[in-house]
Amino acid sequence: MSGPPPIEVRGLRKVFRQTTTGQSVIAIERLDLTISPREVVAIVGQTGCGKSTFFDLMIGLEAPTEGLIHIGDRSPHADFDYFRGKIATVFQQDRLLPWRTALDNARLPLELIGLPEAEQRERALNWLNRLGLSQFTKAYPHELSGGMRQRVAIARAFAVEPDILLADEAFGHLDEVTAAELRETFLSLARECGSTAILITHQLEEAIGVGDRIIVFGRSAKLLADIQVSQWDKQSRPLLREAIQSTLQNNRADPRLAGIS
Amino acid sequence: MTEEYRESVPVLTFPRQTFVSLLVFALVWETLSYLAPYLGIPPFAIPSFVRIAKSVATITPIDIVVTLARVIAALIISFVLGLALAMAMYRSESLNKYLHPMIRLFMAVPVVSWILFAVLWFPGVEFRIAFVLVIVCGPVFLIDTLDAMHGVPRELRRMMQSFRPTTWQYFFKLMLPAIVPTIFTSWKVNISLAIRVVTIAELVGAVTGIGHQLSVAQELFSVADVFAWTLVLVALLFLLEAIVARVETRVLRWRA
Repeated sequence: MSGPPPIEVRGLRKVFRQTTTGQSVIAIERLDLTISPREVVAIVGQTGCGKSTFFDLMIGLEAPTEGLIHIGDRSPHADFDYFRGKIATVFQQDRLLPWRTALDNARLPLELIGLPEAEQRERALNWLNRLGLSQFTKAYPHELSGGMRQRVAIARAFAVEPDILLADEAFGHLDEVTAAELRETFLSLARECGSTAILITHQLEEAIGVGDRIIVFGRSAKLLADIQVSQWDKQSRPLLREAIQSTLQNNRADPRLAGIS
Repeated sequence: MTEEYRESVPVLTFPRQTFVSLLVFALVWETLSYLAPYLGIPPFAIPSFVRIAKSVATITPIDIVVTLARVIAALIISFVLGLALAMAMYRSESLNKYLHPMIRLFMAVPVVSWILFAVLWFPGVEFRIAFVLVIVCGPVFLIDTLDAMHGVPRELRRMMQSFRPTTWQYFFKLMLPAIVPTIFTSWKVNISLAIRVVTIAELVGAVTGIGHQLSVAQELFSVADVFAWTLVLVALLFLLEAIVARVETRVLRWRA
């Protein structure tokens, strides 16, 4: 297995034109970033800082206004079809198709890549089993709890065993116990699959608990800090939390992060 | 699951209130029929139920079958055309901008005008009837399905797009299943519309069908026959609606 390719972001800029006023809004000013294969990266930032735009650009649903995003040597937007089955997403809400059972939801991306039906079924069942849903494969989304639905969404993302996993506030709407449990499961499965995982969140605890690396976005996705979490031991994590908090509030890197990040 | 499904299938009910209102109507009708000669009303105008029953007994099934076939064929053609155009208009914003006003215009044209156009334009009776039915029902299917496609939640569309489906996969795995509830509603509306329109269309030039038989009954001043054929039309409408409702319950069993 060759493993996932690195992600290169160079001079990325994204500007939207507001349909009502015609004014331009800079969602991403200029972003340079490199993400290594199999890294688990948490991106934190305040609401409206451009995290979700970055997420859409990573998926390839939006084209950069300037600059580039390359996964390996290809653009997820320009080479959209090439990445079918290679990038998978988990969203804030489960976004399950209500007319499909848990099993049929989990096998959706496998249908899209054209796997034989028996293999689709086997792989989807395997992932549902691993996420503790073996008793609920025939249940429709409205018959499942919020946590169970999000498990199905995670199974759906992992079913294609993607190179890149993207999660946008995937656990933010769940209660803390369920969120922590799912976060742990997500992380261990991502590591087991050898996928590069990018989690977008506004919750610092989640970012610190999950990421190998934390990227802090300021306004217009300005890169305020790029932190290797391993350089902060367990005792200094509260300090790290405070420093990120201060960075977000002041929209500039806290001096406590400067020496280490 | 099967048991739950059986329980959720609506059964045809006949509530007491419905029975009472129908009974009151029948009594008033029968009384008026009896009193008609004393009220100066011609006897044929309000026939008794016995006379109506005799008319029902003479109903020719072939006319029912012909009308039913015309309605079902026209509805299927209207649905396929409406859905195909809706998909094209959903995909192409410019096509939507050009076609939408025209479709709205078609929907505003009265049925009678379409019938007159059909009579003037086309020599074949069957084609005239099919044309009128399709031109009346097609736009309803089109607008309903197009609106439903635009109403598919953005979250689901983004989710689906993130998995990079082909255009066909996008339509057949997301858009089409998502608009199925609207499609059923549209079918129910169009069945009622088609039954009414086919009757008027058959009045003009057709030599078979319920509309033709109504025309004959009118020429013979037979209110009993008109009543009997009208009963058939109403029964046909209820039957078709019940079939669609049954299929709907089965297909949409995923709904909470």
